[in-house]
Amino acid sequence: MLRKICRNRCKGVPGLVFLVCISFASALSLTAQTTTGVVRGTVSEESGKAVANASVTATSIDTGQKQSANTGPDGTYKLDLPPGNYRLAFEAAGFKTLEISSAKINGTVPEVLDAKLEKGEPVSDKPATTQQESLPNAPSSSTTAPSLSDLGLSLEQTQGNAREQALLDKRTHMLKIHQRMGLITTIPLIATVAISFNAGGKNTSSASRDLHAALGGLTGDLYGITAYYAIRAPRVPGTETRGPIRFHKAMAWIHGPGMILTPILGIMAFDQKNNGEKVHGIASAHNPVAIVTAGAFGAALLSVSVKF
Amino acid sequence: MNSKMLIVVLLVSLPVFAAADSQWILQQSTLTYHVSHPLHQSEGVSHGAKGKGVCHAGQCDFLIAVPVKSFDSGDSNRDLHMIQVTRGAEFPLVTVRTRLPESDATASAIDADLEIQFAGKTVQYKKVPFKVEKQSGETHITGIIPATLSDFKIDPPSLLTMPVKNDIPVRVDMTWRPQ
Repeated sequence: MLRKICRNRCKGVPGLVFLVCISFASALSLTAQTTTGVVRGTVSEESGKAVANASVTATSIDTGQKQSANTGPDGTYKLDLPPGNYRLAFEAAGFKTLEISSAKINGTVPEVLDAKLEKGEPVSDKPATTQQESLPNAPSSSTTAPSLSDLGLSLEQTQGNAREQALLDKRTHMLKIHQRMGLITTIPLIATVAISFNAGGKNTSSASRDLHAALGGLTGDLYGITAYYAIRAPRVPGTETRGPIRFHKAMAWIHGPGMILTPILGIMAFDQKNNGEKVHGIASAHNPVAIVTAGAFGAALLSVSVKF
Repeated sequence: MNSKMLIVVLLVSLPVFAAADSQWILQQSTLTYHVSHPLHQSEGVSHGAKGKGVCHAGQCDFLIAVPVKSFDSGDSNRDLHMIQVTRGAEFPLVTVRTRLPESDATASAIDADLEIQFAGKTVQYKKVPFKVEKQSGETHITGIIPATLSDFKIDPPSLLTMPVKNDIPVRVDMTWRPQ
């Protein structure tokens, strides 16, 4: 390219002018490359309150050059940077240092990077320079070292997505509650099944039936809460369900309807039994439906707990 | 005038001569993390690493990057939990940087100092042993990085309220070829 520019512009000129021409063409070429990108955002506390006077430092992964800016009273900051890959550090007195290991800045669209700082002593996880230097073959800061842009990774692969992280955090939080509630539900479920032997036979007392019904009701309520947290946990777009979780979800199609049907049939059986009748008709399905439901629930629990 | 021109041309050409002597490209790789839980063991495998090495003045700088999302444990639910717990959406890459003498390419074993960026943290592992094998112009490197969750300030994920062990050794199997 440089040669082409010079061939067109420098024909027939003597040596010194040729040199000046090379310098001029180089300068033109460099100017063309240094379009400025912008990174801006807001630094806030976990509560959402803006953090004023926080220091934001962008270090070029490609060249090692640093640029800093401080946040204003509203917690906002803005850095004008040459396009490239950057590591950003957010520091403020009384807060832990937050680092974003890789952010791609391009010259066309301003990059918005908001940061939430956690209260505590500022801690830098970056090893001290002296420590790096003491290593016999420590990573070089040389500009010849390869950079992320050399690896041909897509923008999607290199750029962090705070919104997706928040979605994953919410999903994990809800599924943790789902898991705990599922475990708690197991206790009255087992007790309900165990007490059923004294509740459904010929010589059973109404007290046993009442206890069985009460435990069954408690199981149903806890199951409802467990199911709520699984159903309402956010889905992550583009994720294909693979592995034991497929079996876990398939079991829900058995124990879910079973958990609705079992108490309905149970109430019918309970009424028949209290009227001194033998359990008959559709109510007689209470027992087998409950066994299948409890079995599916147990299998769902085991499928994510133990590797088969 | 001609000799002046020659000097000028040589001076202008200096940066070209100062450029990298040789380069290495990561041909293929398998990275496997191992997680231990009281109830079972699981592994996540990635073939998605990309890497490059640039050698200059007898020293080679290597950079390897692997997307956190490229690890597959065979269970989509576990993979999503791992991405969440390692903040993989916010910090989508694991990068490994190391500097090795160019002569190590002919050695049968190397000890590498690694600088690993993962989950928003940078950690150095000193003298990690790797086995080196030469196979038809390609260099095959195997070893285990003794990573732990606490190194990267990652809260251990738990199953049935039982957390996984702190150690998450990463088995490395890479094939490099000179460019």
